[in-house]
Amino acid sequence: MPRLPRLTLRGGLLSLAALLLSSSDLAGAADAKPAAQGAVHTVVIENLQFNPAELQVHRGDRIVWVNKDLFPHTATATSHVFDSGSIAANSSWTYVASKAGEYAYGCTFHPTMKAILKVQ
Amino acid sequence: MKCTMTLCMTLLVFAFGATAAWAQGAGPTDPQIAAIVVTANQVDIDAGKLAKSKAHSPQVKEFAQRMITDHGGVNKSATELVQKLHVTPQPNPTSESLQKGGDENIAKLKTLSGAAFDKAYIDHEVAYHEAVINALDKTLIPSAQNAELKALLVKVRPAFVAHLDMAKQIQAELGKSGA
Repeated sequence: MPRLPRLTLRGGLLSLAALLLSSSDLAGAADAKPAAQGAVHTVVIENLQFNPAELQVHRGDRIVWVNKDLFPHTATATSHVFDSGSIAANSSWTYVASKAGEYAYGCTFHPTMKAILKVQ
Repeated sequence: MKCTMTLCMTLLVFAFGATAAWAQGAGPTDPQIAAIVVTANQVDIDAGKLAKSKAHSPQVKEFAQRMITDHGGVNKSATELVQKLHVTPQPNPTSESLQKGGDENIAKLKTLSGAAFDKAYIDHEVAYHEAVINALDKTLIPSAQNAELKALLVKVRPAFVAHLDMAKQIQAELGKSGA
């Protein structure tokens, strides 16, 4: 007879432990959220092209444009939501996508260069 | 007969770029290619510097600055590469003809101003970039022996194509405005 309460107690402890674990998991997930938002995407600028020419990211992600050409380029949204200014040869520019939307962009120095950034 | 020969030579130059300058179908050597590349970029930088100060239209001035910056970047890399490869650029009929063409262009541009200057500069930029792309495709890239020199030529080609598009675009707009 006395074993039953002990079992119950043990069960209760297990439940409590499970609850603590799951709540700490939840807390962990909440803490990890800002880090998870910082996914990094790279757009290589080479041969007067943006590669990839179409990139889909989430809000809070970072996009790094790396200029592998021999002269400067820009990554400039048509709407001017973002504008890198001159990115020198062998340099890069980082933008954190803060607003959702589809942004056509290009290089103001070379109007033939066009690409699109989609922020979810 | 003489006329026919001249016409033949002109067509050859158009068809094969600088090939006509090389005897018996032998292409230029790497040191000769290096001199052609550096000269080709330099004459466009020089024309750009003149246009940046003399051009009438802001669009033409902007294009001139782009030529100075882009061809300057290409020449910086070309110079670094020839130093690394211990290649001494060797002047040759093509590089000399490019230099002569560049000097004549600048002499002509100096006599012009306003819209006439803009038109002459841009018309020459269209012809120049077409000629360089042709030379890259028909002579320079196929003749280059060193892999890094060949890679540099391949890498700069899209810039010449983009510049040609930009120059043609401006040429069309200058035409529309009756300049």
